[in-house]
Amino acid sequence: MDGVSVEDSGNDRASAQRLHLGRLEFDVMEIVWKFGVSNVRDVVGRLERTLAYTTVMTTLDRLYKKGFLERAMTDRAFLYAARLSREEWDRRRAREMMAGFLAGPRESRHMLLSCLVDAVGSHDAMLLDELEKKIQRRREQLAEKDR
Amino acid sequence: MSLPYYLRLLCLCFATFFVMHAGCWLVIRSLVPAVVRIAKTMRPRLSGRLLFGLRMAPVAGSLFLVIGFCVPSYVWLEPDIASERVGPACLLAAALGATVWAASLLRGLAAFLRTERYMGQCRRKSPGNAVVQDAAEVLLVNDRAAVMAVAGVLHPRLIVSQAVIDTLTPEQKEAAFRHEAAHRISRDNLKKFLFLLAPDILPFVSGLSNLERGWTKFTEWAADDHAVDGNQQRALALASALVKVAKLGVIPAPSYLLSSLVDDDRDLETRVDRLLREPAYAGKPLAPVAAFARNAALVITGVAATMLLWPGSLSGVHQLLEHLVQ
Repeated sequence: MDGVSVEDSGNDRASAQRLHLGRLEFDVMEIVWKFGVSNVRDVVGRLERTLAYTTVMTTLDRLYKKGFLERAMTDRAFLYAARLSREEWDRRRAREMMAGFLAGPRESRHMLLSCLVDAVGSHDAMLLDELEKKIQRRREQLAEKDR
Repeated sequence: MSLPYYLRLLCLCFATFFVMHAGCWLVIRSLVPAVVRIAKTMRPRLSGRLLFGLRMAPVAGSLFLVIGFCVPSYVWLEPDIASERVGPACLLAAALGATVWAASLLRGLAAFLRTERYMGQCRRKSPGNAVVQDAAEVLLVNDRAAVMAVAGVLHPRLIVSQAVIDTLTPEQKEAAFRHEAAHRISRDNLKKFLFLLAPDILPFVSGLSNLERGWTKFTEWAADDHAVDGNQQRALALASALVKVAKLGVIPAPSYLLSSLVDDDRDLETRVDRLLREPAYAGKPLAPVAAFARNAALVITGVAATMLLWPGSLSGVHQLLEHLVQ
């Protein structure tokens, strides 16, 4: 993943840019969403890859300035907390993306809607197939137990 | 504005209802998240009853106060003079009270008529006479769409399409019929009708829809439990029936007063997972007539006890009404 971005579109450009997260920013946000209030050292320790303390500190500072995090000074170190939840971020991104498509020409609106219908349809079919397999597995387990 | 005696009573009833209902509604609204969390830890049948009771509490409490106290105190203690002035605040509250009632009655009537029309269409599509299954009339509809639902408020009937009958095995059909029978026995459509008739705080402001959604989910789970009643094979049959019917394609219910086997597939995965785990036993269904009689007896006893224990209650209420009317 090279970053979670939202395509710019007309008036939504500024808000879309505000919702964009680079790859490292996203990883850091994931840690704050998962573990709650954290300082730089906590984040460095929880990242899967090894990164310099200053790199993480700069990233946290950038996220604070972009409005993703809030911070409070305790014992000469900043404690960072998420300003919006993961769900809220997802919702805003989805809203921005939809707004971008819907503000575009008629063709792009139709394309978006037909893609959504296709995606929901195929998701439903996959879900039902998966449920059928689950039932079959359970049936086999019970048959084995009876034997 | 001066109003004659009985018009003033009507105005006071609507105004009192509006004020009391708004207060109760706001209290219940603030409790919704906590109650929904608690309901998730309870058995589905109990959760359904809790959410239903809470949804109906504002309207039931307000009606209790209006019918049990306001009307008797006004009729007994208000002198029957030709006309008296009614203040603008009272008039506004009465107008809002009348509007929320009118809106909810229209909503209920529209849903009732839509359901009746749908049942009429099903009767016309039905090739022969209705069959009877477990003391309930079943309408077999010549339709390729996936329809399996209990429809109607006063005399609910099971409507099943030929497509569903052709798709399900006998065991799956039996489990699905038992599920729908649970909806019929619990009078779930009547409860839905009461939801529609219960006014909102303001016309078309539905702040308690979370309770209704929660109730719908838990009644589906309770009907599943009733259908399965602890039997593992029946649980598997019902789970298969749910998936098969969903595969036929879930069409949006033509009316709110329908309890379908598969309403939408949002809750389907959870329902199948529940059925595949240790199947639950059916709870004892609540007989709606007995419950209504019990609640009515409680209300009458409550009013009588209050009047006996506090003889000044009616005059107290009457004084409050005097303030309200000004």
